[in-house]
Amino acid sequence: MQSPQGDEIKEVPATSAALTPLMAAGWHQVPAPVKPTTTPKEAK
Amino acid sequence: MANINELMDGWSYGQQTNITTPAAQTAIWRLTNLNTKPWAKVPVNEDDRAEIGKGHEFPTQLFKSHYNMPTYEISKYCSSEFLAFVMAFSLGNVTAVAGTGATPPTTYTIVPAMGATNPTGLELPYFSFVQQMRPGASAILDEILIGCAIKNWKLAIKNSPGRASATLVAECVTTGQYLTPSGITLPTGAQQLHEFNAGMVTALTINGINYLAGGSGKNFVSLDASWENNFRPGFFPGSGEQDGFQIQGRFEWGDRSFAVQFVVRVQAGSAEYGNLVNQVIGPATITFTRDANNVFTMDIQSMGFNVVELSNTDGIATMQVTGVQLYDPTNGLVTMSITTPQAGICAPPA
Repeated sequence: MQSPQGDEIKEVPATSAALTPLMAAGWHQVPAPVKPTTTPKEAK
Repeated sequence: MANINELMDGWSYGQQTNITTPAAQTAIWRLTNLNTKPWAKVPVNEDDRAEIGKGHEFPTQLFKSHYNMPTYEISKYCSSEFLAFVMAFSLGNVTAVAGTGATPPTTYTIVPAMGATNPTGLELPYFSFVQQMRPGASAILDEILIGCAIKNWKLAIKNSPGRASATLVAECVTTGQYLTPSGITLPTGAQQLHEFNAGMVTALTINGINYLAGGSGKNFVSLDASWENNFRPGFFPGSGEQDGFQIQGRFEWGDRSFAVQFVVRVQAGSAEYGNLVNQVIGPATITFTRDANNVFTMDIQSMGFNVVELSNTDGIATMQVTGVQLYDPTNGLVTMSITTPQAGICAPPA
């Protein structure tokens, strides 16, 4: 979810109870940020 | 000549990129409609009858004016898909979360967007509407109306059998922009939806009164809820044209309203009148559950009663209650939660 000012993104539990107060305050859904991937270490 | 039964309706469950760009075919449903009329297009001409200098009072010329598009009702029995569509496009702030499993449903949480924080200001998402009769080389009707929005809706729940016990009517507006032929190939058959009836109400509590269990169980008769976006006219410099006629270029909500009325049977100690006199307020929840993948909940965050009026419904003494829905500073006005197999409702184009 992204804040109405666009300066904050946070992951929120996908429940109506958690989403409602944020959405009522103007937060809206945005695609989840891409998490950095870790390269698996080569087998020795 | 064509029978009206040949009319095929389709509309996009995905939102348009903007008001002037039609939705992609991949995000368009073909669905049935209880409204048997096509959506009329009404271009309006004006004349010069009011202008002097002609030597008489009669008109001598016609001028293209604007597309005066009438509103159009999409009228359907309640289903998880249609409820999600109507609530998403009429209220505006939507989150969609995919479930898990082999055929995961999507759960939509929807609240009214607020002008101060809505990314598109006072504008709601737009969808496209397709209507066709014998599409192809000799089409009687084949067009896509671009830039449609939901002006209002009416949800009715009644104590009658069958699908008619739960209906939802969305009144829509459109700009006047269209394409013909539409370029859309609708599916061979109308999509089957997951419909509700009033027997599937699994939660019904209003202002502290549970109408499914306890002393007030079996007392509920009917409920009517409605939403009105009260759009402002969308003509402005640069709003656009179609065939030389001016079209609307935006639909901005005005003063919106949310109304709820319901009817219950009177009994000794009915709490509704006391709630009105004592100005008791509380949440109201109504839930339809067809199965785990098809659920609709309307959570009114805070509700009081404006009017409680004794009446007669089919020979039974009843009370008609008019609610007043109060805006809660934390949770807002109302939250719609819909779980449905249809993904991508109100989603922007990929």
